[in-house]
Amino acid sequence: MTAAANEVRPRRTGPAALVRRYAGLFRVQLSMSMLTAMQYRADFVVKGLIAVLWMAVTLVPVLVVFGVRKTVAGWTFPESLVVVGWFTLLRAVLEGAVSPSLTAVVEHVRHGTLDFVLLKPADAQFLVSTAKIEPWHLVDVFGSLAIFIYAFSKIGRWPSLLNLGTGVASLGLAIIILYSIWILVVSASFWVIKVDNLSYLFGSLFDAARWPITVFRGALRVVFTFVFPIAILTTYPAMALLGRLDGKTAAAALAGGLAFAAIARRVWRRALALYTSASS
Amino acid sequence: MIDVRNLSKSYRVHKRAPGLGAALRSVLRRKYEVVQAVEDLSFQIAEGERVGFLGPNGAGKTTTLKVLAGLLHPTSGSVRVGSYVPHERDPRFLQLITLVMGQKQQLLWDLPPSETYAMNRAIYDIPRAQADETVRKLVELLEIGDLVDKPTRQLSLGERMKCELVAALLHRPRVLFLDEPTIGLDVSMQAKMRDFIRDYNERFGAAVLLTSHYMDDVVALCPRVVVIDHGHLIYDGNLQELARRVRPDKRMTLRLSRLVDRADLEKLGTVVSADAAQVVLSVPHARLSAVVQSALSALPIVDLTIEEAPLEEVMRELFGAREKEAREASRAHG
Repeated sequence: MTAAANEVRPRRTGPAALVRRYAGLFRVQLSMSMLTAMQYRADFVVKGLIAVLWMAVTLVPVLVVFGVRKTVAGWTFPESLVVVGWFTLLRAVLEGAVSPSLTAVVEHVRHGTLDFVLLKPADAQFLVSTAKIEPWHLVDVFGSLAIFIYAFSKIGRWPSLLNLGTGVASLGLAIIILYSIWILVVSASFWVIKVDNLSYLFGSLFDAARWPITVFRGALRVVFTFVFPIAILTTYPAMALLGRLDGKTAAAALAGGLAFAAIARRVWRRALALYTSASS
Repeated sequence: MIDVRNLSKSYRVHKRAPGLGAALRSVLRRKYEVVQAVEDLSFQIAEGERVGFLGPNGAGKTTTLKVLAGLLHPTSGSVRVGSYVPHERDPRFLQLITLVMGQKQQLLWDLPPSETYAMNRAIYDIPRAQADETVRKLVELLEIGDLVDKPTRQLSLGERMKCELVAALLHRPRVLFLDEPTIGLDVSMQAKMRDFIRDYNERFGAAVLLTSHYMDDVVALCPRVVVIDHGHLIYDGNLQELARRVRPDKRMTLRLSRLVDRADLEKLGTVVSADAAQVVLSVPHARLSAVVQSALSALPIVDLTIEEAPLEEVMRELFGAREKEAREASRAHG
């Protein structure tokens, strides 16, 4: 341990190095989450079981509605199941990877430990967004696959490779949007400290994503397309899998998603600036 | 290494009177009050220097440390650490510094400290061999070999603080901001912590700026102190010089073989305390040798020691005097 070894290492630059560095960081964060999850084994089992239960509950409203009618807003039962499949998958991502980390930010702000995050030479948004992942939500991922398989076997026509590709791409877009909305909610915590109510509201709005967007009429449809775009979250991916998504809608969805991400990043930076200029 | 010039920092806080009515009114019309946490503060710290940062609660110490660490923007004035402006939070700046807060911790609660070290190694982009070497050395210096693999939640406060230090020093920072690093620790743990901080400072030539409520920390570690009160600098310089200036009296402790008259003691100086075994006198510096001579000839002395007044008293007197001045000044204006 000599003073010479103390020199700051010249930083590797360039986008490739940056991606490598953050991929490495993500791996470390992920392994910390896994280790934490393993610390409480009973927890692991119980939470996995609860995830299964929730998935069953998710299906109930759809089953009830289709018990009395053949189609809803132009969607047949198995087609609606495709939407429910996306909803389940997306909820796994939301509750497994997005919410826990960002709820932890709120705790950081309340306890003043966000300082430690800001002292680190890495992007603060990245660090807080990847801090906590709950692996038992993998159960939901498997569940959603089962739903997809059941739905498409009922439809009797499997998605083409192109459909599958567009579906996966729209899932990526959906995750970006979901994450951006969460970032906006969390940024609010810098102003109001307690955002429990906001996150309940978020949860309730997200629940609407189990229905195809065409179910909603008037003002609700506008809100769910542009403000809280559940259309992009679940309807469009489902349409992609069913081979019904046209290029124009896809392009508009992509533009909207990127805009959401840009706005979220800006608001986050504003919120951080506020934190560093006002807290004590 | 650290250059602070005319630093000021003020907060706008929302203020209301107690009670429900006032609370409701404040929802409609908020009253804001500007709190001046730090005002026109200037000081420089060289590489390898250990400086104590002193002041009563709410004097602006933590605010200043946070500005130096880049967590707060200064309202005015300029701050530089190395060649960096802290609040820009340049990654190279963040590699250079560390901030330890005795009241907050960064260790992952559910995992052993060694996992936090692994994470910091990745975040600071430290080569594995170097990180392992640093952890090994620090763990050895702090004598925490078997603790780093226990979950943090199972460690005692003192153990946690030591493990916390390793996490904070893993990237071998050249500037250490230590905010109450020994708070809540027992005396022997405090002493160990002090040795460790001095050792690190000497090995790496790191600059140390330390706040502590335990004056022993400051006496043991910091040849120089910066004292602030109500956000203003009131002293910057040698610690002993400060003690001499505020309390020019020396502290003379006598152990006597038998009881003596209090009147005899009062002839020598101000009696601080006196009982059967031991007498403590306060004696002006100028009269010290004369007093020692007459004490030795007149009293049945077993043992005699002369010390500076304890730093706690120096501080109390310093801030007490300033409070009084402020009160008198405001009365004169009113």
